[in-house]
Amino acid sequence: MERSNRFCVFTTNLIFGALVLAVPGVSLTAAIAHEGHGMTCTETGINAMNADIQAIRDGEAKTRAMKEMDAAQEMMEKKNMEACMSHMHNAMDAYEE
Amino acid sequence: MSDSAGSKAMRLWPIAFLAGIAILGIVAAAALVIFSGWYNVAADVPHTRAVYWLMQTSRDRSIEVHAANIVVPDDLADPKRVADGAGLYAEMCSRCHLAPGMERTEISRGLYPRAPELRRGVDLTPAEEFWVVKHGLKMTGMPAWGVTHGDKLLWDLVAFLQKLPELTPDQYRALVKSAPSHEEMMGSEADHGHGDHAHH
Repeated sequence: MERSNRFCVFTTNLIFGALVLAVPGVSLTAAIAHEGHGMTCTETGINAMNADIQAIRDGEAKTRAMKEMDAAQEMMEKKNMEACMSHMHNAMDAYEE
Repeated sequence: MSDSAGSKAMRLWPIAFLAGIAILGIVAAAALVIFSGWYNVAADVPHTRAVYWLMQTSRDRSIEVHAANIVVPDDLADPKRVADGAGLYAEMCSRCHLAPGMERTEISRGLYPRAPELRRGVDLTPAEEFWVVKHGLKMTGMPAWGVTHGDKLLWDLVAFLQKLPELTPDQYRALVKSAPSHEEMMGSEADHGHGDHAHH
């Protein structure tokens, strides 16, 4: 019984440990993957991303990326930088599909 | 002039007058936009969607029409052609159009319109790709490689472009490594003449 409990605690720790490492890891990977696009919530950053998106093939991904960029611009104008970055990440995800 | 012709002219006169005013208005508005310097030509501020659509549509239609009569060689899948094209691509195109496993370059980040990343594939036929590579594109930074390269080499490049979207970074590097040097290819082309200029 005690052995089984110890196994349970070990497994739980393992899962939580993996999650604690994975969540920032995913964000970091996304940040690195998008680094080449100079993503910043500034007029220059948004212009650069819009230019990147204009160059991709027409289709559903491009339309989604453009909508996300419109939302990012709107958030930037409202000074909500966190939401702006989130929309820019979504736009980049669509761009990279 | 008969009475009926005179009355017809009188009825048409207001329409002609309004059409003339409209045309003058359009010309005046265009002149204002052009000479006031209002439109920003900076490459770090993208075109509005309407202007981008206008330019993209004009460009796409122009390519389609001009490439319509180009005869595509039937050996574009020849591995030798593809390998030679890979060497040319690495030398002439990859700095702007990038390649599998390649980081974005400074020039690729600053060009406007952005040079498309060709590893993602493009909506052009091989004949259209050949036409673009040979003649270049105005106001995009795309040079006319036909000025310095013969058709044979340009078709090698097009042969490679058909394969590019399927290549992994390792396969791309291996292909480039297997290609003759740029100087060798240019030399061999000079030996065989400057290609075929019959199609366009």
